[in-house]
Amino acid sequence: MSTQNPVIALAGNPNVGKTTLFNAITGAHQTVGNWPGVTVERKEGYFIREGKRYEVVDLPGIYSLAAASPDEKVARDFLTHSKPDLVINIVDASNLERNLYLTLQLMELKVPLLIVFSMLDIAAQNGIEIDFDHLKSHLECPVRPLVLTKRFDAGQLFHDIESALDREPCGATVRYDEIVEKHLENISALLDEYKKEKAWPEAWNEIPQKWTVLKLMERDPLFHKELPFEWSEAVEKEIRAVETHRNQSSATALADDRYGYIRGLVKDVAQHKTEAGSTFSDKIDRVVLSGVWGLPVFFVVMYLVFLLSVRASEPIMGWLEDGITWLMVDQFGALLRGWHFPEWISYLLSDALGGGLATIASFIPPIFFIFLSLSILEDSGYLARAAFIADKFMRRVGLPGKAFIPLVVGFGCTVPAIMATRTLESRRDRIFASLLTPFMSCGAKLPVYTYLSILFFPKHADLAIFGLYLFGIVMGMVFALLLRKTLFKTDPGNFVMELPAYHMPTFNAIGLHTWHRLREFILRAGKVILLVIVAVNILQGLSFTLNGQETNVLEIAGKAVTPLLRPMGVPHDNWGASVALISGVFAKEAVVGVLEGFYPDSSAIPGAFGGTASGIAFLIFVLLYSPCAATLAALLKEHGWRWSLFSFFYLTLLAWIVATVVYQIMTFNAGSWLWLGVSAALVLLFIGSLNLMGKKNVVES
Amino acid sequence: MLSNRNTNPLRNLGRHFRRRRKACHCKAGDCIGLDGLQSGREALVTCNNDIKTIERGLYHGKKVMSQRNVAGEPNIVVAVGDSRYVLDRRIARMIRVRLV
Repeated sequence: MSTQNPVIALAGNPNVGKTTLFNAITGAHQTVGNWPGVTVERKEGYFIREGKRYEVVDLPGIYSLAAASPDEKVARDFLTHSKPDLVINIVDASNLERNLYLTLQLMELKVPLLIVFSMLDIAAQNGIEIDFDHLKSHLECPVRPLVLTKRFDAGQLFHDIESALDREPCGATVRYDEIVEKHLENISALLDEYKKEKAWPEAWNEIPQKWTVLKLMERDPLFHKELPFEWSEAVEKEIRAVETHRNQSSATALADDRYGYIRGLVKDVAQHKTEAGSTFSDKIDRVVLSGVWGLPVFFVVMYLVFLLSVRASEPIMGWLEDGITWLMVDQFGALLRGWHFPEWISYLLSDALGGGLATIASFIPPIFFIFLSLSILEDSGYLARAAFIADKFMRRVGLPGKAFIPLVVGFGCTVPAIMATRTLESRRDRIFASLLTPFMSCGAKLPVYTYLSILFFPKHADLAIFGLYLFGIVMGMVFALLLRKTLFKTDPGNFVMELPAYHMPTFNAIGLHTWHRLREFILRAGKVILLVIVAVNILQGLSFTLNGQETNVLEIAGKAVTPLLRPMGVPHDNWGASVALISGVFAKEAVVGVLEGFYPDSSAIPGAFGGTASGIAFLIFVLLYSPCAATLAALLKEHGWRWSLFSFFYLTLLAWIVATVVYQIMTFNAGSWLWLGVSAALVLLFIGSLNLMGKKNVVES
Repeated sequence: MLSNRNTNPLRNLGRHFRRRRKACHCKAGDCIGLDGLQSGREALVTCNNDIKTIERGLYHGKKVMSQRNVAGEPNIVVAVGDSRYVLDRRIARMIRVRLV
């Protein structure tokens, strides 16, 4: 066997069962889904067999090795640069031709290959019969058919993996058109000369020369940039000769030849017993995608998601919070006092830490139900349809329909939503969609909405929360239109998306999906929230005398910020609200925790805000202002510090303007003109600066 | 006015300079853009120069069926074998198909 700890990569088209296989062989519990783009970065796991450790890497789904989008680039870079010891290529048996296109490219890359055929049950339903032995003899590759949705013989698969590790790469090769082959040989000869005269690019060291030649023929920019101009020109001459001969671009000529090979192969090894007709998914799509029913179904589904998240979580939130408060604050506090612990220790452990835990626990139900709804939508296959329905609106604001998926994911958490923008092909679309995700009220904002809506609108809390969600979407669309007219003037990228077949979501898949998201969310946000709540409690407890009056650090900081929030209705003495907003930058749920810390009797909050108008303005500010620290970090990682800062400053400014305008209009008086004027001036400044950035072309199209 | 005898060479000269559609084996009026394929109709791809859609199986000679094509919508839905794709109308326009 080649190495001590062999590295096995799982590669294949999107949505063919790579993650299911990954979970099965590593015993991991990675999320699987029913939409293309579940895996946007590689996931690593391992299994140990007979004392030997095998590293397994689950790569994002790809249709070819062209690396058009970042997730495809992740997959290609790993296959070409990390040189795995074995690639398990998962092929959807119900869609042989398209899947074998990637298989051929992997064979051309000369990596040791094991081909696993999945979706055999669907292929059988569609009347497709495949002679695997015959296929194996043609491809000269080990082949293993598996039904991944049921329990399968993992021992047999491990045996296949072990024997495939010892094998040479697959023997079959594609013969291109005679003229194309001649020019490929010419390029190869050019590269031989180049090797003698110049230093061979380091990136090409690990790659077979034939593959480099094919990539050059396809005009792959990542390969062409490695060649000096005069050599690149010589290669270009060969490419042009092929294009003249074939009367089509060189890349499409190669693709056509590969498909020519595949068609012959499939004709030989597979039989369609029945004529492909309407599938079950087609029948549902006739309603779900129809002009008449499509939109109503879409809105009903979205409303049900909201209803489930708000209504189902309300009673559980109360039980959890009361239960943990009783246990951690009342009982634990009494125990500590009974043991005669110093007062500050029992305050820190029971009131600060225990209260913080109770606050975090109250956030969990709404976030759980949001994630649960999203998991059901994704696993059923509806999410991709929703993207199609939403495309009509998305186009108007300058985004492709595919960007709808990250935006919907944003209702759960903005961080994975920003990661999900990787499935968009153009950089413009990725940045644009990422900037809009904070407008989709994430699960962390829901506890804030619920807490304050129940206080300010006890009879119409549902309506108020739904209104905030809708307002976020509307503001997102307005902001998108503004960005389209200023920063992102070019058209959105082309939209090609596969509609996966509908699946009945399984409890296992939904449970895993929801659990992963919830766990990640609790671990990421929980730590920050707990720290913020404990810090606020401690700072509040550290009081000293200033100018004859007892005060604390938080009061001084809060009072310094409150004048800025006065135009949106936060009274001077409600500096707790300012502290809550500052804490919200770390994690949105901290807003509730801090307010609870300041106002243990929550019924005092409406009075502290001075009325409903300032409550509404405050909720709007929470909805629109700077994304949380984790989101800013995700923006920094994906698009750089400029876009992270942009999001922080522009969204906070936007939140201030909108909250001020709403408050001033609701409590209109002579003084309102001043603040409405200031808001108008800031709007002009806002648009002007966006225009200026647009002219500087900060986002190259 | 030029006589027919004189206009024909001029027309041919124009055709000579007109950009040829790559790999399109269509006679005049024989092919339509995929965006023009009505819902429920089947067609064969006669030329496609978009590598992204070729990789997804819309290669020369492949049978496609339009599942949803509503004028004014930015996308169409097509069935290619057992796969269903949402295609941008701009891409669909560039894919030439012949009705079957």
